[in-house]
Amino acid sequence: MLAGKGFKQVYNVSGGIKAWKSKTAVGPQTLGMDLFKGPETAKEFLVIAYSLEQGLQEFYLEMADKAGNEAVKDLFHKLAAIEAKHKDQVFERYQNMVDPEISREGFESMVTVSALEGGLTTKQYLDQFDPDLSVETEVVSMAMSIEAQALDLYQRVAGKVTDPKAKDVLQQIAKEEQQHLARLGTLMDTL
Amino acid sequence: MKWMQFLTPVKSKDFNETKQMISDHDPDEITILDVRQPGEYKDSHIPGAVLIPLAELSDRAAELDPDKPTLVY
Repeated sequence: MLAGKGFKQVYNVSGGIKAWKSKTAVGPQTLGMDLFKGPETAKEFLVIAYSLEQGLQEFYLEMADKAGNEAVKDLFHKLAAIEAKHKDQVFERYQNMVDPEISREGFESMVTVSALEGGLTTKQYLDQFDPDLSVETEVVSMAMSIEAQALDLYQRVAGKVTDPKAKDVLQQIAKEEQQHLARLGTLMDTL
Repeated sequence: MKWMQFLTPVKSKDFNETKQMISDHDPDEITILDVRQPGEYKDSHIPGAVLIPLAELSDRAAELDPDKPTLVY
């Protein structure tokens, strides 16, 4: 059908979703979209992206406090540190694109945290993934699921916005999420 | 009648090839198209996949970029 409509490179994924052995995203197409409802500019999207990274960082720190064994505690701290770097990336992009003079405090004063990356709340994530918090691989697996969910969310939002600059920012963030996912995969390989 | 749609063979990619293709492209350079029903998409989908149920595809294909490689499942 697509070939007849001018699509030149169409590939069938053999076995469909059942053959897909990597991370998946869940939820309807509208999941998490309300977080992005209203804002339409690149500037506003960057503030939201920062809030989502921060939400996830806080979540990992909260989990670190709850974790029973030291290895998992350390791992959560490592994941929180990764999110801190993601926040730096978003802030730097804001400075480059919007306001080179803005301080971190000034920027953070615009940020309100209401959900984690991917648009779900802490409880929804724990219910969804139900990880065994004493097993390191389960913890990283959950983190990878969250990144996959975030990648999915940014791409869905990018597909909806019309402002080219905003679309570009969202696609850049989606690209970074893809890199974050690959980095966690590397971390998983070390466990 | 666009006969090409009946005549053009579609290549398949297995899991490893699909994963490689996704990681070789930036997210905005490739389309992952989920043609299942919304309920199936909701349960689980490849991150970044666009949902257009098969029954709607003919009418909604214009929403996609025909110049991008398109992975369909």
